[in-house]
Amino acid sequence: MSATATITMSALPSKSTIKLAPAQSHAEASSSQAQNQPPKSQKQMTKTERREQQERQRAAKAATKAAGPQPGGSNQNSAQVKKGAPPAASTSASVKKGGKGPDGKPTKDTKETTSDDSARGLRIFSHFGLPKPPGPSKGDIHPAIIRLGLQFSEFKIVGANARCIATLTAFKTVIQDYVTPPNNTLSRHLLTHLSPQITHLVSARPMSVTMGNAIRELKLEISGSDIDLPEQDAKNLLCQKIDDYISERITIADQVIQETAGTKIKDGDVILTYARSSVVEQVLVGAWDDGKQFSVVVVDSRPMLEGKKLLSVLSAMGIPCTYLLLPSIGSVITEVSTVLVGAHSLHSNGAVFSRAGTALVAMMAKQHSVPVVVCCETYKFAETIQLDSFTKNELAPAGDIFSSFPLTRSRDTLTLNKQLNLEILNPLYDLTPPSSITAVVTEVGVIPPSSISSIPLALGRTTL
Amino acid sequence: MATDSLSVANQRVVDTLAARLRRRQVVGSRETALETVLVLRQVISKARFSNIDQLVEIIRSVGRKLVEAQPKEHTVGNTVRKVLHHIREEYHTASKGTAVVSTSKDTLSIAKFVLQGQPRKQNVPQKTTLNESHDMLKENDADDPDAFARTLKPVLMEAIQDVLDELETVHDNISKNAKDHIHSDEIILTIGKSSTVEAFLKAAAPYRKYTVIVADTAPSYGGHDMAQSLSSAGISTVLVPDSSIYALMSRINKVMIGAHAILANGGMFAITGSLLVATAARAHSTPVVVCAGQFKLTPQWNLYHEYGALDFADPSSVLGFEEGNLVDKVDVVNPFYDYVRPELIDAFITNDGDHPPSSVYRLIKEAYDDEDYEL
Repeated sequence: MSATATITMSALPSKSTIKLAPAQSHAEASSSQAQNQPPKSQKQMTKTERREQQERQRAAKAATKAAGPQPGGSNQNSAQVKKGAPPAASTSASVKKGGKGPDGKPTKDTKETTSDDSARGLRIFSHFGLPKPPGPSKGDIHPAIIRLGLQFSEFKIVGANARCIATLTAFKTVIQDYVTPPNNTLSRHLLTHLSPQITHLVSARPMSVTMGNAIRELKLEISGSDIDLPEQDAKNLLCQKIDDYISERITIADQVIQETAGTKIKDGDVILTYARSSVVEQVLVGAWDDGKQFSVVVVDSRPMLEGKKLLSVLSAMGIPCTYLLLPSIGSVITEVSTVLVGAHSLHSNGAVFSRAGTALVAMMAKQHSVPVVVCCETYKFAETIQLDSFTKNELAPAGDIFSSFPLTRSRDTLTLNKQLNLEILNPLYDLTPPSSITAVVTEVGVIPPSSISSIPLALGRTTL
Repeated sequence: MATDSLSVANQRVVDTLAARLRRRQVVGSRETALETVLVLRQVISKARFSNIDQLVEIIRSVGRKLVEAQPKEHTVGNTVRKVLHHIREEYHTASKGTAVVSTSKDTLSIAKFVLQGQPRKQNVPQKTTLNESHDMLKENDADDPDAFARTLKPVLMEAIQDVLDELETVHDNISKNAKDHIHSDEIILTIGKSSTVEAFLKAAAPYRKYTVIVADTAPSYGGHDMAQSLSSAGISTVLVPDSSIYALMSRINKVMIGAHAILANGGMFAITGSLLVATAARAHSTPVVVCAGQFKLTPQWNLYHEYGALDFADPSSVLGFEEGNLVDKVDVVNPFYDYVRPELIDAFITNDGDHPPSSVYRLIKEAYDDEDYEL
């Protein structure tokens, strides 16, 4: 390889630079050999080649320095690995300075090995992207949307249903305050008016499937609204449609689910639930009001510790509760008769996307032959197929980590953020495979996970 | 009769340790084992006995007292059994020449092997250094009751020193082959803070570049200490909450956890959360490796998965008193250990080599004497 490079180097300079690149990268990769070609005098080399040689020497020096603390073998490995993948983290200045592709590539490789070695294991999770605080809003964002965005980013409103209802209510305000500019129709312009609002919400916190479905319905309604209607009537109609959506798909659906799932609870049952699902809370409260005698085990976990809210609601009603954290679930699972969990979204392949930790609960329950029942409205159905928890997930901000720790633990042991080699990840969701789920209770019935893909059919429409 | 030979000083030493165990001022398998060995050494050095049975009875009674003080710290009993095993071995070696000794016959047969379980006893080579002493191994000498003790004690002290050395070098021995177990670019999952696993991972760090994901194991949050220690050793570490274990398991190549005690069937007691990790790993066919010293081998069983076998810790770490109105209405459970079945474990890496859970019974038979299983 290097032999051919030497021959062509004397011929055409431009071609030689291209041919030189693979030889060079391999030379860099082995990290020990600096030059394979016979040294040429400075006068013979063109300006490009001289620059290349300088870069090579600089990179070799950096590589030998890096090879000191780390073994040379791994340098070689990482350089090979990184050649293909476009670097997300480091941008080396020489890339921009060099201007030519083959010029910058070899130096980029070695510079990467030094800076990325410390963070290499985390590239798998790098596409999650850490949540950023909502920046200054561009364009006219309605104050209701700004307030909502702030509430989302601070996790004041959590839960798929709560977020969806809050979003739709905010949009009702936006629609009422909206005035169609002259020479425009409501049905077309309102959509463009809503887009930056939606973008602002998404920048505060990635959109949930429920919000996505609801907004899609809303857009459909808007674009289908009658052009001849006077503006106020059109707006009233839209608001009415939003109310209908909330009532039909969420409120009434919840009541149907409550009744259906309530029949699964018998006297003397021990129900286990994880974190806080608004639907499961309604089911348990409803069943207790019906006079059934059962007890509840609430399992909770960091960082959200949402189970405590559910615990206060249930114990205020007088339901005997046990509270424990997720790792302890192995000890109590043998006493449990049913597991009830909620969901963030359902997918066509039967998987349930829910709060992180639900998959563990479902897996342990299945191991001990305890039925796992997911309570979920049909509007949470997403057409996509999800196979693992990585491709689509969200990270909680590492910010206020102290509030979820017990007071018995000293604070200084918890200050871990800014340490070299240490990264803190807090994925909020995970995927429960269909094999761990026994049944899904929706307002159209109790269905096995394999039938989730036929929910749209059950609703009588080809698209959801 | 045995208690007569226990001097007042001995009593005090044993009682101090028993009190500390009961009050949980000494926790952790290795610490309790070390303390037990030191106490046993003191007891033996001051003990007065004229034959082997008296000595065994002294040690047994000490062991019983300590185990009763804290039955959940299994290494206390294990260390006592180990010391007894060494004592008997030294005794048999020392008195090999005299006619008194071995109850075992020299003929080997499979039946004898299985029944006896200690083939080493039958094949112990004659130690030439003790040739002189076997003549002098007078038991039950009426004129000189301490003769037996005097000749045997130095040997016993050596044996106890062996046990102590083994305990102190446990981490180094386990980490010897660390780099053979880890390949480059591997992602390893661990939970809680196990000093054995920590030493293992740090030993491999200079040879391999890999990532460690540490789950923070509520409510003890030992994972935080582990993550801090590993990252300051230069290993790239990711700290995650326990809820994401299943989510991440598909990307994890290996699970490495520590044990509190290894049971006779190959199962183990480990920190809460180990059962979750092991089950999730089994669901994804990820190998589960347990790093533990041989002193954690316990000749006991957890046949009925007793709820009481788990140790329970302070519930305020789960639901503290700051949630005042909930505290009296709600049951809070905080088990400290989990029982993990042998089917979920792939290998035990011990200071004496690597073993699958199915051969743990053999290790126990070699390490302890049959008559000591009930102290």
